[in-house]
Amino acid sequence: MDSLSFNINGGYLEGIVRGFKSGILKRTDYLNLVQCETLDDLKLHLQSTDYGNFLANEPSPLSVSVIDDKLREKLVSEFEYLRNHSVEPLSTFLDYIRYSYMIDNIVLLITGTLHQRHISELIPKCHPLGSFEQMEAIHVASTPAELYNAVLVDTPLAPYFIDCISEHDLDEMNIEIIRNTLYKAYLEDFHSFCKNIGGTTAEAMCEILAFEADRRAFIITINSFGTELSKDDRAKLYPRCGKLFPDGLSQLARADEYEQVRQVAENYGGYRTLFEGAGTNPGDKTLEDKFFEHEVKLNVNAFMQQFHFGVFYAYIKLKEQECRNIVWISECVAQRHRAKIDSYIPIF
Amino acid sequence: MGSLFRSEKMQLCQLFLQAEAAYSCVSELGELGLVQFRDLNPDVNVFQRKFVNEVRRCDEMERKLRFLDKEMRRRNIPVVDTGDDPEAPLPREMVDLEANLEKMENELREVNANAEALNRNYLELTELKQILRKTQGFFEEAEMHHGSLEHSTVDDSLGLLEEGSRGPSLRLGFVAGVLLRERVPPFERLLWRACRGNAFLRMTDIEEPLEDPQTGDKVSKNVFIIFFQGDQLKTRVKKICEGFRATLYPCPETQAERREMAVGVMTRLDELKTVLERTNEHRNRVLLAASKGLKNWFIKVRKMKAIYHTMNLFNLDVTQKCLIGECWAPDSDLDKVHLALRRGTEMSGSSVPSILQKMGSHQQPPTYHRTNKFTEGFQAIVDAYGVASYREVNPAPFTLISFPFLFAVMFGDAGHGFLMLLFAAWMVVRERHLKANRIDSEIWQTIFNGRYIILLMGAFSVYTGLLYNDFFSKSANLFGSSWHAKFEVDGYLKSSKFVQLNPDPHANATLRMYEGNPYPVGVDPIWAVSVNKISFSNSLKMKMSIILGVSQMLFGVVLSLFNHLHSRDRMGLLTEFVPQLLFLSCIFVYLCGMVFFKWLSFDGSPDEATGAHCAPSLLIHLINMCMFKYSDDPCSAKTFYSGQKGFQTFLILLAVACVPWMLVPRPLQAYLREKKRPWPSSMPHEAEEDESDEARLASAHEDAEEHEGLSDVIVHQAIHTIEFVLGCVSHTASYLRLWALSLAHAQLSEVLWTMVFRNGLGQSGAFGIVMLVAVFPMWAVLTVSVLMIMEGLSAFLHALRLHWVEFQSKFYKGQGHKFVAFSFQAIRDMKNFDNMLDS
Repeated sequence: MDSLSFNINGGYLEGIVRGFKSGILKRTDYLNLVQCETLDDLKLHLQSTDYGNFLANEPSPLSVSVIDDKLREKLVSEFEYLRNHSVEPLSTFLDYIRYSYMIDNIVLLITGTLHQRHISELIPKCHPLGSFEQMEAIHVASTPAELYNAVLVDTPLAPYFIDCISEHDLDEMNIEIIRNTLYKAYLEDFHSFCKNIGGTTAEAMCEILAFEADRRAFIITINSFGTELSKDDRAKLYPRCGKLFPDGLSQLARADEYEQVRQVAENYGGYRTLFEGAGTNPGDKTLEDKFFEHEVKLNVNAFMQQFHFGVFYAYIKLKEQECRNIVWISECVAQRHRAKIDSYIPIF
Repeated sequence: MGSLFRSEKMQLCQLFLQAEAAYSCVSELGELGLVQFRDLNPDVNVFQRKFVNEVRRCDEMERKLRFLDKEMRRRNIPVVDTGDDPEAPLPREMVDLEANLEKMENELREVNANAEALNRNYLELTELKQILRKTQGFFEEAEMHHGSLEHSTVDDSLGLLEEGSRGPSLRLGFVAGVLLRERVPPFERLLWRACRGNAFLRMTDIEEPLEDPQTGDKVSKNVFIIFFQGDQLKTRVKKICEGFRATLYPCPETQAERREMAVGVMTRLDELKTVLERTNEHRNRVLLAASKGLKNWFIKVRKMKAIYHTMNLFNLDVTQKCLIGECWAPDSDLDKVHLALRRGTEMSGSSVPSILQKMGSHQQPPTYHRTNKFTEGFQAIVDAYGVASYREVNPAPFTLISFPFLFAVMFGDAGHGFLMLLFAAWMVVRERHLKANRIDSEIWQTIFNGRYIILLMGAFSVYTGLLYNDFFSKSANLFGSSWHAKFEVDGYLKSSKFVQLNPDPHANATLRMYEGNPYPVGVDPIWAVSVNKISFSNSLKMKMSIILGVSQMLFGVVLSLFNHLHSRDRMGLLTEFVPQLLFLSCIFVYLCGMVFFKWLSFDGSPDEATGAHCAPSLLIHLINMCMFKYSDDPCSAKTFYSGQKGFQTFLILLAVACVPWMLVPRPLQAYLREKKRPWPSSMPHEAEEDESDEARLASAHEDAEEHEGLSDVIVHQAIHTIEFVLGCVSHTASYLRLWALSLAHAQLSEVLWTMVFRNGLGQSGAFGIVMLVAVFPMWAVLTVSVLMIMEGLSAFLHALRLHWVEFQSKFYKGQGHKFVAFSFQAIRDMKNFDNMLDS
C-alpha cells in the first residue's frame, strides 16, 4: 500500500472519487439555495450543479421526501459504482463503511417493531446503504439471542453482536445498549483494520475513526445522565480506539454531570475548542453541530493526501452531510421557517 | 462574405424589444442563428429571473414528453421522424400544448394504472395456478409413498409428543406461497434457524418467468410449501415469509377443493387475459397517436425553452414595457438581423417596431470565422490551440495546404497515400448518407469530421510519394533512369559483388554513366537499388526539412507584419517584425541559400572546384560562422566564395544586434512614458468620428498595458525576445522531425516488404502460390494497421505540433473567445436526441 503501487488497483477509483468530491456543493451554492422561495427554485438551482437532472423526471410540486429519496439514491448509486469496481482490500474497506448503516437499520427496525409498527412502514425509512437480505425478517426475533441466531448470524455484523447476546429482552434501554455495543465493536474493528492496512490509509482513517469513537464516548456519557444506566455499564460502551483511551475514558466513566465531561475535554486540545464554542442558548451552536463541523473538517483533510482509502470514507460522509444540509434547507423552505435556515454545515 | 484570413467584423448591438414582441423576435433570431446574446444580469440567480416560470413550464412539458417517449420505447412503438422543423409556437399556443400533453399523460397514466392492477391480478392468479399445480405434486407424492415423507415427520412429532397428550392439535398446518428465486437460499436458512428445524419446506421452480407488474421485467419465482406444527410456529413462519416478500396463497387441503379452485382460477385467468389484451390495445392506440407528434413537440418545447432562457438574459427597462438585450452580431449580417426582427415584430402583431442599435464597446468582440464543411476541420485544428484574438491573422487558410503537405512529407508513400485518399474520398462521396446514419462512436465521429483533412493528406502523400519515388516502399522507373551501367557483362560485372557507377558527368563516353537530364519527377529510381540509398536520402531529406521549416517560419514572421499593420502598431513593426525578420534571415535563410548553392554547383566530377568530395560541409560552415573561425584544413571547410569571411561576420553581427533591438525599445518607451506623465491624465480621448474599432481596441490595449507597470513590460519583453531567439534555433532543429519521420516510415515499410511479403514472392510453383496467399493478408493487415494508422497518427501529431508551436508561435496570439451564436440548429439536428432522453 505504498504510493508506488496504489494506482494499480486504486488509481481509477481514487480519481473517480476525487471527481465526485469536486461536485460537492460549495459555499456559494448554499448561499443561492438559502435564497430559494420554493422547492422548485431549489430544483432549478440544483440543476446547475453536479446534481444535474436528478429531479428532472419528478412531477412538480416536489416534496422534501422526494428530494431526500433522490439524494440518497444518487449517493447509493455512486457508492455501488465504487464498490463494484473495487478489489481487495478496498472492497472490504467499502464494506466496512456499510456496516455502520446496517447497525442503524437493525436498531431502527427493532425499535419500530417494539412500537408495534408494521415492518413495511419501516423499510422505506432504512438507509439503502445498510440494507441486507435478512433485514426485513428481523421482527421474527424477540430476544437478542434469537436475533443473533436467526437473523444476524449470516451477516458480517455477527462478530460484533456476540457481546450483546447476554441481554435478556428487547426494550428501549437494551436496544440503545445493543446499538452502542455494536458500534463500539464496529469502530474498534474498523480501526484495527485500517491500522493493518497501514500507510497513509491508517494515518488518515485512524484520525477520523478516533474522533468518531471519542464523539460517541462523549455523547453516551452526556445522554446517560438521568437514566438508570450504571457507570460500569456505561464504561463498557465506550469505544476504545480514540484519543481519550485510556485516561479520558476512565475519567468519563466517573462523570456525573455535564461540567465534568467538559473538564475531561479540557485536557484534550482538539476537543476543548468544541466544548468551548457550544451552548444551548438560541444562536449558539449545539455540541452536536460542533461535532459535525469537526467531522467535516477531518473528512476534508483526508483529501489532502493521496494514495489512500480515507478519501472513500470521507467522501461518503461528506456527501451524507451534504444530503442532510440540502434536506434541512428544503425542509426550512417548504415550511417557510427561515429563521434557522442558516444552520447547515458548509463543506467547502 | 468575409474571408478566412481574418475573423468577421463584429458589432455590439442593443436590442429594444416590445415586451409582447420579444418572444417572436428572439424566436426569429434563433432560426437565423447569427447573434450571440450577452448576459445582462449575471448576478441574478437562475430562479430569480423574469421568465423562470415559463422555463419551468417547459421543463414540465419536457418531462411529460420524456414520459411518453419512455412508454413508447417500452412498447416498441417507433417514434416517427418526419424531418420537418416546426417553428417555436407562440406563447399563447403554449397553453394548448400544455393541456394537450397533460391530457395525454393523464390518459396514459390511467391506462397504465389499470394495466398494472390487471397485471397484478393476473400475476396473482398465475401464481395461484402454479401453486395448485405444484402442490398437487407434493400431495400426490406424499400419498403415493403412503405418507412416507409427510408421515415420517408426522410420525416423528407423534413420537416426540406421545408422552404428552394425543389430541387434535397434532394436525400439521401448512403455508403455500411464491418467492423470488434469488431469495431462496437465505430464506431457507433463516427458516431453519428461526424454527429450529421444525418446519418442513418443499420447493419447486416455476418454469416460465413471470412478469413483474410494476416494472414489466421478467422474474423467476419458486413455489414453496411449508409444513409446521402449532400456532406459534405459524406466526413465525408467516413473519419470515413476509420478511422475504413471499406472497402467500390460500390452498385448500383436500384434493377435490383444490381441483375446484383450479377450475375457478383458470376461467378467471381467461377472462382477465381478454381484458388485458384490450387494455394493451387501447394503450398502443394512444401511444401510436402520440408517436406521430412526439418529435415535433420535442423540438417545439426545446425551442421555447431556449427562447425563454435567452429572454432571461435581457434587462427590463424602467417602464416595464420593453426588454433590453445586448448581442454581438457580424457587421455584414446586420441587415439579416434587422429583417428577422421585423418579421418577429410582424408576427407578434405588435405595432411598435423593435429597434436594433449599434453600441460602442471596449470589450474584445468574439471571434467568428465563417467556415464551410471543407474549412471547418482546419479551423478546428487551429482553434484547438487557441481561438484567434479578434481580427488577427487566422492561420487556418494557410494550414489548409501546409498541414496536409507537412503530413505528407513525413508520410511520403504514394501507395499508402492512395489508400488513404480512397478512404477519405469514400467518406466525402457518401457524406450525406454517413451523416444520416448518426454513428455514435467517438472515434468514428473524429475521423468523419476530419474527412477533408484526410482527403488532402492522402492526395499530398501521393504527391510526396512520387517525389520520394516510393510505392509501398518500391521505386518505379516511370521515366527511365538517367544512369546507365556500362560495364562489360562478362568481366568486371561478374567478378564483383558491388559495383560503383561513375558519377562524373564529364567523363568520356565509355565511362560516362550519368547523362542527359536529371530524372524529371522526384528521386531517380536507381537509388532504390544502391547500397548508399539511405545516406543519399538522408542528405536530401534533411536539407529539404530545413528549407521547408525555415520558409514556414519566415512566412509566419511575415504574417506578423499583417498583424502589426492591422493594429497600427508601428512600434511593434519596427522593434519586433524587422529585427525578427533580420535575425531569421541572417542565419537560417543564409543557411538555406548555402544548401541551394551546394546542390546546384557541385557534381560527381573529380575536379577540385566542382567535385563533390570537396563540397562545403554546411554544418561545419555554420559552426565556424558563429565562432568566427575559418580553417583550410579539410577542403570541405574551405571558404567557397571570395569575401565569405567578411560577409558572414557581418551577418552574425547583424543578428546579434537584433537581440537588443528587440529587447530594449518597448521597455524604454514605457519608461519614458511613465516619466513624462507622473500621474494618470484625465484627459478624455479625442472622439474621432471615423475611429474604427481596431484603433479603439488598440488604444484600449495600450491603456491596459500602461497599467501593467514597467517591471511587467520588461519581463514580458525579455521573455518574448529570449523565446524568439532560442526558438529560431530549436524550431529549426525541430523541423528535422520531417526527415526523421519520413525516414522511419520508409524504413518500416521496406522492412515489412522484405521480412514478410518477399517470403511469398521468393518461392516458386504451387508452394509459392500457397505462401503468397498466406503472406499477403499478413502484409496487408500490417500495412494498414501499422504503416497507415499508427504511422499516420504519429505523422499527424507531428504535423500538428509543427503548426501549433513552430509556425503559429511566430505571429499567433490566440487569446480570443469564440462566437457562439444563439441558434436552433442544435435542436433541429437533435444529435443528442437520444442522449437527452436517457438522462
